[in-house]
Amino acid sequence: MESSQKYLDPKILARLEGLRLRARRVVEGYVSGVHRSPYHGFSIEFAEHREYAPGDDLRYLDWKVFGRTDRYYLKQFEEETNLICYLVLDTSESMRYRSSAAAMSKLEYAQCTAAALAYLVLQQQDSVGLVTFDQEIRALVRPASSPSHIQQLIHVMDESAPERKTDSGAIFHDLAERFKKRGIVVILSDLFDDVAKMMTGLKHFRHRRHDVILLHVLDPAELDFPFRQITMFKGLEQLPEVVVDPRALRRAYLKEFGAYVHRLQQGCRMQQIDYSQVRTDQSLEVVLSTCLAPRM
Amino acid sequence: MQPAAFIPVFAQASPWMFGWLAAAAAPILIHLWSRQKYREMSWAAMEYLLAAVRRSRRRVRLEQWLLLAIRTLLIILVVLAVVQSLLQHVGFTPTTSGRTHRVLVVDASYSMGYKPEEKSRFDQARQLARQIVEGGRQGDACTLVVMASPPRVVVGKPALDADELLEEIDQLRLGHTSANLPATVELVGQVVQAARREDSHLDRHEVYFLTDLGRIGWRPLLDGPAAAAFQKRSRDLAQAAALMVIDVGQPAAENIAVTDLRSLDPLPTPGRRIGLEATLENFGRQPQTGQTVELLVDGRSVDQQRVELQPGGRASVSFLCRFDMPGDHAVEVRAAGDALDVDNHRWMAAPVRRSIRVLCIDGRPSGEPFRGATDWLVYALNPQDRRDEQAPIGAEAAPESALLERDLGRYDCVFLCSVAQFTAHEAAVLRGYLDHGGNLVLFLGEGVLADRYNRELGDGAGQGLLLPARLGPTVDASPGRLDPLGYRHPIVEPFRGREQAGLLTTPVEKYCKLHVPDGSKAQVVLATAAGDPLVVEHTAGRGRVVLVATSADTSWTLMPVWPSFVPVVQELLAYCVGGAFQQRNVEVGQPLETSIVTPAADVAATLRAPGEASRQVPLRTDGDYATFHYDETVASGIYTAEFGPPIDQQRRFAANVDTVESDLTQLSEDQLRHEVWPGVAFQHRTSWQSADGGMTAPILRPPRLHLDLLYLALAMLFMETFLAWRFGHHTT
Repeated sequence: MESSQKYLDPKILARLEGLRLRARRVVEGYVSGVHRSPYHGFSIEFAEHREYAPGDDLRYLDWKVFGRTDRYYLKQFEEETNLICYLVLDTSESMRYRSSAAAMSKLEYAQCTAAALAYLVLQQQDSVGLVTFDQEIRALVRPASSPSHIQQLIHVMDESAPERKTDSGAIFHDLAERFKKRGIVVILSDLFDDVAKMMTGLKHFRHRRHDVILLHVLDPAELDFPFRQITMFKGLEQLPEVVVDPRALRRAYLKEFGAYVHRLQQGCRMQQIDYSQVRTDQSLEVVLSTCLAPRM
Repeated sequence: MQPAAFIPVFAQASPWMFGWLAAAAAPILIHLWSRQKYREMSWAAMEYLLAAVRRSRRRVRLEQWLLLAIRTLLIILVVLAVVQSLLQHVGFTPTTSGRTHRVLVVDASYSMGYKPEEKSRFDQARQLARQIVEGGRQGDACTLVVMASPPRVVVGKPALDADELLEEIDQLRLGHTSANLPATVELVGQVVQAARREDSHLDRHEVYFLTDLGRIGWRPLLDGPAAAAFQKRSRDLAQAAALMVIDVGQPAAENIAVTDLRSLDPLPTPGRRIGLEATLENFGRQPQTGQTVELLVDGRSVDQQRVELQPGGRASVSFLCRFDMPGDHAVEVRAAGDALDVDNHRWMAAPVRRSIRVLCIDGRPSGEPFRGATDWLVYALNPQDRRDEQAPIGAEAAPESALLERDLGRYDCVFLCSVAQFTAHEAAVLRGYLDHGGNLVLFLGEGVLADRYNRELGDGAGQGLLLPARLGPTVDASPGRLDPLGYRHPIVEPFRGREQAGLLTTPVEKYCKLHVPDGSKAQVVLATAAGDPLVVEHTAGRGRVVLVATSADTSWTLMPVWPSFVPVVQELLAYCVGGAFQQRNVEVGQPLETSIVTPAADVAATLRAPGEASRQVPLRTDGDYATFHYDETVASGIYTAEFGPPIDQQRRFAANVDTVESDLTQLSEDQLRHEVWPGVAFQHRTSWQSADGGMTAPILRPPRLHLDLLYLALAMLFMETFLAWRFGHHTT
């Protein structure tokens, strides 16, 4: 299977055809009469005419209609603006994990999700960029809006090899500095890192007025801890191994994990960051719908 | 429950059973093995897992140890339940922890006195009882019951002090009665119930029957409701306590016994030779040849004979004896000794009277000879017409007024002839006379008012029946022979085969129709040709009453002139007076009673019982009578009661064993299980003595202990499931 087919399942994408990616807040200004778009004329499509009212911008008067009808009409355009979407994909070793309950590893799932999002963004002639990282930035693809740009993104994702530790906090700081233009930053990661550092980095994104969507990709086993046999758990990302009776530890683990997720959600809420927990046994359609519905 | 407490017992019981307890190590081994066998898995969220491990290490370890302990205990309980059930099945009963109440039932029937070697069965039972007490643990309690007839409680409240109980065991004495299993079961049931009710700290109750399992005592001849009640009590007892029967008897025990001794003359008088007949019985399986039988009177040997006894056979030995002096004499027949001494003796108290005093009340006196109602009677009582004090029977006639004027207590028997009626006072005097051992013979005749008889002497007075039958109308007799009713009664029994004596042909022309009430214990001695009772007798108070439906004169019958009259009257008197003779000779356990006539109110009475020192016995005074009553006849032999001062009288009693206990045949376990106690859970042991000569203390567990263990195991199972779920070990 080709990479594009692998990530862009036509069935999934066909269902998403009706979706329109919308920034929840103003990225480049979109309310007519309140802001002026810096990108007027570009990617603005005619929609209909409306009778002139005092206060309307005279630049949009359709003089041809005035000439034919002797009445003032304004040209109405689709309220669209240029959008830049930054896809930030975690390719650390922990993303390699896949339990028996899941069809894909966390990384594979995140790659699928990123590809689908990129496709959707490009479909509406917006720009999409990609960053892969672990403890440092592994690849950075600048935003572009050409349809062929998807091939490059997929190629970069294919090249990513999950082998190293992660250092999300520092990476987020670095990226906040690099993303010059405001846009939507979609982070796809299991976020197994220091929460405080991560939140500092995410805060940096918000400081640069980016709209941040945090897709917290988790394996169902990490959420449910369903193991029964005594198991030696070998830590990824250079963490130690331990032999435990999972049944005896389940409650304690879930408590610890729940506390961690709670801290994460609380931090996101304070920074007005959209947090979505994504289970890798969920349908991708559900994930995208959950993620994009607020922006339609 | 502490599993460790079982271990020594199981180890003693059977080492291979102890090995099953090793199965309790299975959970530990499984736990250790599972720690070595695990799967490996890469894990991303390691940081949180490590934090959970750090936080829960101590709790998880504690939970694991707790579950491990419960699982181990669970296996131990199941193993113990199975092993206990097996042990119980094979007759072994290991001990348990907890406080135990042990009821020691020591058979004190005289068969326990069988002594084939150094120790008697009773000694062995006491020794076993001692060892059971000494084998108890701290907090155990014991009660002590003697199995006899009747059984008695020696220590009824569970005693914690072993020394006190041992002292009581040492003081137990062999009784001379037989075992009474139904009464003993009832009594033991009461003891157990009282202990369960009053001492809730006692966890278990165990009943030990230390007995020779004599067939007679242990196989009660019960039927109907009594048998059902016995079975129910036994089952109730077995449910309330664990039962163990420890057989201390010997299966093939030889024994002979003197089973009977009787005087052939019920009215012995001084200087006259009387016949004595003793019966010996061989209860063993070996013939007894040349068995010596000795007769002793007042402790002196007066005769000796030899007898042959076949296995299971009996033989009678006759002696002739003469009492030189009046008074009560002690007669003993003694067989040569065997392993059971108690029944080798039989005693008899023989009251030898210088003269039997008889008062004949004439209700229709006449001045002419043989025209009064008692003339023929006095003649029949004293055919030789002896007027001296040496006459064996001193009969005197008196009018009706003598009933109130004379002291009836001085007469052995009173004949009432043709007395028309009795006043209430006279009836009360007669009742008092009977209550103190007097005897009445009533002849009816012309002028007798049946209604007044029935009212004053019958049930009309409401003071108990004095008459053995209700008087009806006077009827003319139909011709025919009298009916002796098979000569069953002792009064007519001497006439058996002696028809020439004329009893059956006695002409009776008129008689009063008698009606014996339903359920009455009165016995018809003789009947008319028409089947109506002619002579009826019963016991009233401590005396006897004989009612003759016809007259003692010739007005209603020619019996006074008939050849049978003298022997009939003599037999009537012998039967009545013989009642007093029987009251002097009782079985062990029956009371001794007699009355003396004394003008003084504060007469002292002293009793010498066999093998015991003299003791004072209080008398109950009633008018001119003082009544002696003693009901602790626990030993066989001669009891001597001495009265006075101010009077000086002596009365002797003989108490003999009931020789049914002399049959030493034992009840087998099978018979016990199927015939005596069907459906009753108990354990039976015969090998009570261990190989080293000492006794193994047979500590019982309740039969349902294995069920308790299983219930406990089930509870452990539920607890393990709950805790595993609670600790997160459950599967989701």
